[in-house]
Amino acid sequence: MNIKRKKYPIFLAFILVATYLVFVDLVDGDWSSLENSLDNLSTFFYESLWPPNWKVLEEQSYPVCERNWDFLCSPAYIGIMETLKIAFVATGLGFILSLPLATLASRNLYRDSIAIPFRLLLSAMRTLPSIIWAIFFVILIGFGPVSGVLAMTFYTIGYLGKLQYESIEGLSNDPLDAAKAMGLKNSEIIQRVVIPETANNLISQLFFMFEYNVRHGSIIGIVGAGGIGYYISTYLKFLQYDKVIALLIVLFVVVVIIDLISIKARSYFVDGATFKSPSLFGNIFKGK
Amino acid sequence: MNNVINAIDLKIGYSSNSILANIEELKIKQGEIVSIIGESGIGKTTFLKNIAHLLKPISGTLEILNSDNAPERGEVGYIPQKLGLIKHETVFFNVLEGAICNESILRSISGLHEEKVIDKVEEAIELMNLSNKIDEPIKRLSGGQQRRVAIARTIAQGPKLILADEFLSELDDKTVESVWKAMMDYAESNTITLVIVEHNIERAKLANRCFRLEKNGELEYSILSEVEI
Repeated sequence: MNIKRKKYPIFLAFILVATYLVFVDLVDGDWSSLENSLDNLSTFFYESLWPPNWKVLEEQSYPVCERNWDFLCSPAYIGIMETLKIAFVATGLGFILSLPLATLASRNLYRDSIAIPFRLLLSAMRTLPSIIWAIFFVILIGFGPVSGVLAMTFYTIGYLGKLQYESIEGLSNDPLDAAKAMGLKNSEIIQRVVIPETANNLISQLFFMFEYNVRHGSIIGIVGAGGIGYYISTYLKFLQYDKVIALLIVLFVVVVIIDLISIKARSYFVDGATFKSPSLFGNIFKGK
Repeated sequence: MNNVINAIDLKIGYSSNSILANIEELKIKQGEIVSIIGESGIGKTTFLKNIAHLLKPISGTLEILNSDNAPERGEVGYIPQKLGLIKHETVFFNVLEGAICNESILRSISGLHEEKVIDKVEEAIELMNLSNKIDEPIKRLSGGQQRRVAIARTIAQGPKLILADEFLSELDDKTVESVWKAMMDYAESNTITLVIVEHNIERAKLANRCFRLEKNGELEYSILSEVEI
């Protein structure tokens, strides 16, 4: 135990030295680019970014909006709502499509000749980040939320599929062995053993993925796939950084709220979760 | 009577490089209650998994119900050491898993179960004295009750052969007695062959025949021999 503990400082020093050496190699010994960086940041922050321009919370002139409150016609509201809708639909579609692929990719249910090709398919879908999928669908379909939904759905299938087959493969062998020995078919085993046994994890992953997709909604919007990212990208083009920071603050607040809801909801579904079991969601989901 | 299990010169294990056990000859007839004892890691569970067609033998002959192919749907019931129940689901849901062996896959998947299947579930639950727990999730049941659910699931299947892997472990003496009696009564009254892997020699000797898997001399694998009761 003591010997192991003594190794930690050496390991830490090694990491620091290695990081420094690789960094030096990366900048090729030329540190001049970093010299004025703090001054630049200060100028950029006070002259362009701060204070945030909260006009993004007011009604915009185009497109025409006939809602009662100004806020409901603001770029921030329209953008964030579209991002939430894109993330919601993409997460739902991705979940429905990834589950059959994940079961086929599980090596405790199907032999390697079936499971490995499906793993490769999920891996390929995950390799392309959602922004590349978004560029692909913007070229294919055009600008707008449909491209955003498809881009996020494809990435969700790859990402969620991996989480799902890992959960399935983490199942105890005993329920599977009992069902296989009975002579049940794989479709029956999935319905009666795999889904009930992994349900908590699957639901927890679904919440996580929704939150992940909302965060990524800002990125895919930049290439024209709809959502708040579309407005961020427009303001960036016109150098209106104060509006960009205002929208990023709005997005941050929304993501924090979703994150909190997600953590509470997930804690209800995951056994032995390290976070406290929530009273609000506990009661809602228990139907009390 | 027909042999339900017929093993000749059977080598079992996880690869041909590491044979766990060699069974020279084993014939088990219909309705016999047989126990297998031996130290941990000697190959008892592996042998049971071979009988259940969950693992393939390395070499030799292993015929189950007069066939070396996988048994028909529902013919073999297997109770793993940790029972293999769905912990979040109810007693009814778990016992239904066994009963669906008596209907078509289409009906089982669609949930449009035949009346006889539901009757089998209810009969099995009643036989195990669990009628008052029918809607309880497994995780809320005691160890003894959980074992009764596992037996009820197997009974609902209507199998010809039941394989049980140390399913009485971690139970107090009184519960062991009642669970054991329930299992024996059902097997005897329905002429079902029962193979039980057991750690406790005293309990193992309650069977009709008892076998021991043990290492002998310089052999790297264990061999099966009958123990006099």
